[in-house]
Amino acid sequence: MPPAPRPLLAGLLAGVLLLPTFRPASVSAQVSTPAAPRTIAIDERLAAAAGLAVGDTVRLAATAGSPGDLVRIAAITRRGADPSEVARNEFKVRLHLDHLQSLTGSGDRVGRFAVRSRGAPSGDAAAPDRVAAAINQSAFGFRAYPASAVAVETSSTFRVVNRFHRAIGVITIVASAIFLLCITLLKVDERRRDVGALRLIGCARATVLRAIVLEATLVALIGSILGAALGWAASAIVNWYYQGVYQTPLRFTLVTPGIVGFAVALSLVLGVVSGILAGRRLVRTAPLELVGR
Amino acid sequence: MTVTPVLSAQSIRRAYPLAGRSVEAVRGLSLDVMAGEWVAVVGPSGCGKSTLLNLLGAIDRPTAGRIVIAGRDVSALGDAEATRFRLTGVGFVFQRFYLMPTLTAAENVELPMAEARMPRAARSARARELLAYVGLDGRAEHRPFQLSGGEQQRVAIARALANRPALLLADEPTGELDARTGAEMIALLDRLNHDGTTIVTVTHDEELAQAARRVVHMRDGVIVDDVVRRPLEATA
Amino acid sequence: MIARLAIAALTRRRARTALTVAGVAVAAAMLLDMVMLGSGMRESFRGFIDQQGFQLRLTPRGTMPFDSEATVGGATALVATLRADPDIVRVGPVLGGKHFVAVDTGVVAGFLLGIDPAAQGDYRLEAGHDLAAADEIVVSTAWLAATGRALGDTVRVAGGYDPQLRRATGERTLRIVGQGRFQMLAASDRAAAVPLATAQAMGGADRADRVSVLLVETRGAADAEAVAARIEASEARLTALSTEAALKFVDERLGYFRQLAFILASVSLAVGFLLVTTLVTVSVNERIGEIAVMRAIGVARARIVSQIVLEGVALSLAGATLGLGLGLVTARWLNGILATFPGLPAAFDFFRFEPGAAFRALGLLVCCGIAAGVWPAWRAATLPIATTLREEAVA
Ligand SMILES: Nc1ncnc2c1ncn2[C@@H]1O[C@H](COP(=O)(O)OP(=O)(O)OP(=O)(O)O)[C@@H](O)[C@H]1O
Ligand SMILES: [Mg+2]
Repeated sequence: MPPAPRPLLAGLLAGVLLLPTFRPASVSAQVSTPAAPRTIAIDERLAAAAGLAVGDTVRLAATAGSPGDLVRIAAITRRGADPSEVARNEFKVRLHLDHLQSLTGSGDRVGRFAVRSRGAPSGDAAAPDRVAAAINQSAFGFRAYPASAVAVETSSTFRVVNRFHRAIGVITIVASAIFLLCITLLKVDERRRDVGALRLIGCARATVLRAIVLEATLVALIGSILGAALGWAASAIVNWYYQGVYQTPLRFTLVTPGIVGFAVALSLVLGVVSGILAGRRLVRTAPLELVGR
Repeated sequence: MTVTPVLSAQSIRRAYPLAGRSVEAVRGLSLDVMAGEWVAVVGPSGCGKSTLLNLLGAIDRPTAGRIVIAGRDVSALGDAEATRFRLTGVGFVFQRFYLMPTLTAAENVELPMAEARMPRAARSARARELLAYVGLDGRAEHRPFQLSGGEQQRVAIARALANRPALLLADEPTGELDARTGAEMIALLDRLNHDGTTIVTVTHDEELAQAARRVVHMRDGVIVDDVVRRPLEATA
Repeated sequence: MIARLAIAALTRRRARTALTVAGVAVAAAMLLDMVMLGSGMRESFRGFIDQQGFQLRLTPRGTMPFDSEATVGGATALVATLRADPDIVRVGPVLGGKHFVAVDTGVVAGFLLGIDPAAQGDYRLEAGHDLAAADEIVVSTAWLAATGRALGDTVRVAGGYDPQLRRATGERTLRIVGQGRFQMLAASDRAAAVPLATAQAMGGADRADRVSVLLVETRGAADAEAVAARIEASEARLTALSTEAALKFVDERLGYFRQLAFILASVSLAVGFLLVTTLVTVSVNERIGEIAVMRAIGVARARIVSQIVLEGVALSLAGATLGLGLGLVTARWLNGILATFPGLPAAFDFFRFEPGAAFRALGLLVCCGIAAGVWPAWRAATLPIATTLREEAVA
């Protein structure tokens, strides 16, 4: 049972549904003549799409048609593993704060501040909340949120997707349980005659049952090891593929020891249980009936 | 003799490839059987009796030679024709009965008739008739596991007769039965032969061989002796 | 008789037949769900777009509708030019923004749409009447709940809020005349619509004569793509997005879902195939002697093949029928999970039952069942009769 992929869909859906998500004005870039003092950093995807490289000079304007500034590309950035950006196609351009303020005519305004509290690095989990509360108490015209609250807010989409994947996982587990039980039953049933003959020559029920269960367990063990390898390979392919499609370092599927352990344990348990169920049915049948008379 | 042979085997051979070389179970055997005859093929175990019977019943094909039954060259038939021949040309009774375990006695008898596309009412009537003939009226709705070996063998004979074959082939029909049921079986075969069915049986059973009109002795895939005990004219 | 034998073969070992049918049913349910997922979102989305009745969306060049705060100026002239186009029937200008309403406990914020009531596709009136005057407002149910107001009330609505000065800007006194369902918004969103001019005025100098999106309905016979190309060529500030292009864009973004659906659907088919083929193979192996006997007494090859194939078909048909019910139930369950997606239009379906697609998928599964029976059936039909009987006698 390969673990279900856990792609992150917030951006996907936001973009797909074209919901009113208001974001800062987009910045458009046009290739132009050299010599400019200010520097910017651009997204590697923009660099690829527009054929830009570090050192190139471009004209940067806040709105289409306005003259803007000549700027030099000083860096090319790769976007972080931020799930909410996964499916967004916009190119991000980073510039110095004052440069953007003057370019967009925003004066001395900012969208938000990031604040690092003193307690945080030393592992004081409550520190950010304390700091946020203190700021909010004396705040004038803005609010402070601890990073954890923001994370909860932005991850609600992912919780939903997670639940969805978990539900699909449950269906998959039910399906594979039935599948395993079915196959074991069939395999054991194929042995009717052998088991009947063994019983006729005097093998004890327990011996026969043990042999059947041992075989089912071995099959489940080998199968789950193969399955784990297959799942790992599938996960690698999924990551490679979607990282290419969405151009993000985000990891879409994760094969952790816990997941492998769960899958192996589950299939072992299912294998043993179905072996016992199928075997018990068989050893309880009269041996004469088993050999076909 | 005024009667034409219903079965005529000419120099038939059957070789089995075995571990690189080939073993001949039947080696150049010729046999004519007249309509109304009852032939018992006897011989030591492994001399090729069953192989011969399978060849005569178009269940198997000879590697050489010709088998003509009721005017048709059976040895040259394709699968579809051979199947058709097995369905209507011969009736086969196996040593171990081989009834369909999931069907009732009547349904087992009806199976070849259904396959021959006989209308439902006609085949069900004939099935009852045949079961009554073999002495099983009242057991029509029983499944094989509810019948004794002798009763199962009677159902098998009724099934073999379903499509009125020209020839009844039976491979050790008493092989799995005790002396008493074996005797009943012999009586039934005798009655069948009396009523005009041509029969070839393979057997180890001395009683059965005694009951037949003609006894053919086989050894190592060939006929070594052929004794007509009761000529056809005696009853005809 | 052949059907009887096929049924008997299946009922001989009930437990494993039942298990196989259950397995096929789960596979069928999964397959159905994945087919529903593969097309559900796209069709839902198409439904929304079609409901609006506009074939084109014009946005500031390079943006998607409402994806950014970008707007286009000179809206009046733009609308007039577009309306003069013989291929265009209706033009619906929309300005998107925020609005604020003071309530006892603080401030309620929500989306504000400035629209032309004669050409809008953003909401459907559920109560009251549509916008007729500049000082009227249509709001969502959630808006009424959040503000505690009722239809007919008069409210003070601000177009902006200066956090530094803690002061509302662009405030207007508006009368709530209608209650609407905003189709592209979640049921929980507080949304309101006012006449375009009112929205522009509430937004201050920044928003004067500007729009976020222009909805365009083309004349029936006109090719929407051609009109889109013409508009883009003549108006450099605009991107024209046709319904098809929007759907294509959706398809691109939904790649993940479609691929997931495709992979899981394929796996389901493979599982169903494997189950049926295993069961039929084992059951044929068990009955190989019986089959040889049938052949020996003259049952035709075709009959044997059809009996075994019939078994596979019966298994997959039973599984598919059960799976249809199971699939609809699980689809509803999964849809329920995804319906809690934040900010999703309430009527949006991830899983949509399209009878055609569903039955094609289940038909494919049954075809797999047929294919699953073919190999064991062929093996059974071509077995050497005499040898098999001999082997059975030995066993
Ligand atoms: N399928 C086969 N493959 C190889 N050898 C075979 C096969 N069938 C039969 N033989 C061989 O052919 C010979 C004749 O077999 P056959 O079954 O005809 O003997 P039989 O006379 O019927 O013996 P019995 O009286 O024991 O039934 C035997 O030596 C047997 O080993
Ligand atoms: Mg023999």
